[in-house]
Amino acid sequence: MDIYGEFAPTLTAILNELEQRLQSLNQLQADHHQPKLYEHLIGRVKTPDSMAEKCQRKNYPVTTESALERCHDAIGLRLVCNFIDDIPRCLHQLHEADWCQIVKEKDYINNAKPNGYRSYHVIAKVTMPYKDYEGHKPGQFYVEFQLRTIAMDSWASLEHEMKYKHNIKNPERISKELKRCADQLASCDVQMQTIRHLINEEN
Amino acid sequence: MRILLAEDEHQLSHVVVTALTSQGYSVDPVYNGQEAVDHAKQNAYDLMILDIMMPVKTGLEALREIRATGDRTYVMMLTAMAEIDDKVTGLDAGADDYLTKPFSLKELLARVRSLDRRNGSLDRDVLTFADLTLDDNEQTLSAHNSISLTNKETRLLQYMILNADKQLTVADLLNHTWDDDDESADEEDVWFTISYLRQKIKSVNSKVVIDGEKGGPFTLKSH
Repeated sequence: MDIYGEFAPTLTAILNELEQRLQSLNQLQADHHQPKLYEHLIGRVKTPDSMAEKCQRKNYPVTTESALERCHDAIGLRLVCNFIDDIPRCLHQLHEADWCQIVKEKDYINNAKPNGYRSYHVIAKVTMPYKDYEGHKPGQFYVEFQLRTIAMDSWASLEHEMKYKHNIKNPERISKELKRCADQLASCDVQMQTIRHLINEEN
Repeated sequence: MRILLAEDEHQLSHVVVTALTSQGYSVDPVYNGQEAVDHAKQNAYDLMILDIMMPVKTGLEALREIRATGDRTYVMMLTAMAEIDDKVTGLDAGADDYLTKPFSLKELLARVRSLDRRNGSLDRDVLTFADLTLDDNEQTLSAHNSISLTNKETRLLQYMILNADKQLTVADLLNHTWDDDDESADEEDVWFTISYLRQKIKSVNSKVVIDGEKGGPFTLKSH
């Protein structure tokens, strides 16, 4: 048995369920001739090994309770959007959904991290037709949503690559370039957004 | 500052070199027009002082040759008193300033200082207004966050910061931001650049705003 215990299949089932719900929300926008909420969706259940490692790092006992109740990102969903303005639209949908209760929001878009990281993080409790850790059914499960643009997403991939390479010769220099690149991508995001506004104003 | 001095009278050259050196400038003295051309080709100067009446090549001939190579260094001509035509010819040939002989060292040094200040102020590349910082060198705008700017956005915002709280017309902005060679630039260019800047100022979480509707005038303000 891994750290998730009997809940391992439940987590995968919830992830699939959430992906379907978000996909239908996206479809609903298309049906109403609105732009997509998001361009693509990536979901994952955190691997048991990295969850165990996280619990140790945080000084939590390595138990199913820690994994499900104290850590909030066993289930993670990333909504990658075309434009900055799509992010508040996605956020609105999450706030409105009756199966989703927002616990915490972190706005790293208006408050970019010093290294240049931009993204909007949401911790939510979702109600799902499965028994939860406390034995309730339907149960409540923590999910982490990350909302970002395609540009922010590619930047994060590059930064991730650098973070996990330990033999980089000049990390300070690379970090500086990454930061500069993040500012340039933010600039493009804002420019595309502005052009979109100007197009829509003319109509 | 590195200065090229072309003056064929050794005595005068010596005095000028001594005066400039004592102020911390580094000076290369040459004694005819051809040497001036050769030195200008080899070294990067911040200022060239050229006497007009020189052997081998006159200062005017040297200046024309130097300009023809694309060199845009600041040039000061030394002309004989009352020779208005010399001054006009010199300025038309590409000189930036002139001094009439005999000139006072005091005046020469004051002019060099003035040039030095101007160069320095153009190099000063970080402007601030309220919570905004504009780094001209890096072309970045920052307040709570930072973001890159294009060349046009940087120049437009620079001008607006230097003239904050004033109403600036589209014509003002076009004249100060777009080069003469960019004659096709119009009100639409200004409007796009203003629109980008507004969003970028917002995205760095600044309390600065650009007031004004399409067509101008525009005012940079802090809330």
